[in-house]
Amino acid sequence: MKATPEEYDFHLRICARDDPIAFAELADQFYHALLYAVSQRAGAGADSTLIEEAVGQALLDYHDHPLRYDPHLKSLQGYLVMAAYRDFQNAQARENRVRGHQISLSDPDLQERDIAGDDDPARNTFAADEIWRSIDEVFPDADERQIVELIINREHAIEPYAAILHIAHLPEDERRKQVQLVKYRITRRLRRQMKPRLHPNEGELS
Amino acid sequence: MSNYRPSLDRLAQLAQARPNLLAGPLKLYQEQEGLDDEQLAARLGCDVEALARLALCARPRPAPHFREDVGRIARYIQADTVQLAMLIRAAETRESLTRNTGASSPTLLAARDHDNAEAADTDDGDGESDV
Repeated sequence: MKATPEEYDFHLRICARDDPIAFAELADQFYHALLYAVSQRAGAGADSTLIEEAVGQALLDYHDHPLRYDPHLKSLQGYLVMAAYRDFQNAQARENRVRGHQISLSDPDLQERDIAGDDDPARNTFAADEIWRSIDEVFPDADERQIVELIINREHAIEPYAAILHIAHLPEDERRKQVQLVKYRITRRLRRQMKPRLHPNEGELS
Repeated sequence: MSNYRPSLDRLAQLAQARPNLLAGPLKLYQEQEGLDDEQLAARLGCDVEALARLALCARPRPAPHFREDVGRIARYIQADTVQLAMLIRAAETRESLTRNTGASSPTLLAARDHDNAEAADTDDGDGESDV
């Protein structure tokens, strides 16, 4: 099904690059419908945070590269749902690999080095206040912030994490898996949210 | 563990990495000015809920389109046009200084803000409000 007249109008406005509110209006109009559609495809129990990130990335990718979408072939909503669902599947697959211990702890995806900071004290001091302010915004949940603090302090023992997560009663293997998964997800969110703040020159339009 | 609440706020956060959207410079301005969302919205004369939509707007094009673009954005989020123009100028200046120097001198930023406020009044706006 090709684009609806409304979608086609949005597409022309986005492509023209002369309408400062086109993308905001598009997002306002489609965001919640996209979340719903991707959630339906992902099924009950799917991680809503991953879905929201995937939908956001699909919209922003469309904003960056609108000509990749052909309004004569597919509806814009269908195109965005497909893109977001693909991104969601990839993110979920990565998490499943962590769950199944198929990724080594030395995998770059699990390295906390770029979050924990480098060895330059001047740079660390300069960024510290901004980092903690950003962390408060990105992680409104107090438990999550405690885990972030442990990660940044390079705490490698499982017990402190398990206590925060209230899973200390679980068998060691299961406890370790769950802690590893939570650390991975929080590190990924940290990396995604903090990089634009700490390295504003990155992420230019390609 | 989860405070999940679907809203445009999350999308606006992701948009901070997009250099041609307002999300990045607005966030930087807000942080450097120490403003929370309520204070920023009050400065612009708009609702707090409108800030995410503002962040998803494209940066206004340079003159001669700047005034037209800012007016369009202001009407969209129901904000004061002159305040929005001054804030965007200041935000972009701060972003540029931060990018070029890696740090921001409050004195220099204040001076640049003053210049930009004058420029917004004289070059792109004559003080009238579209709201």
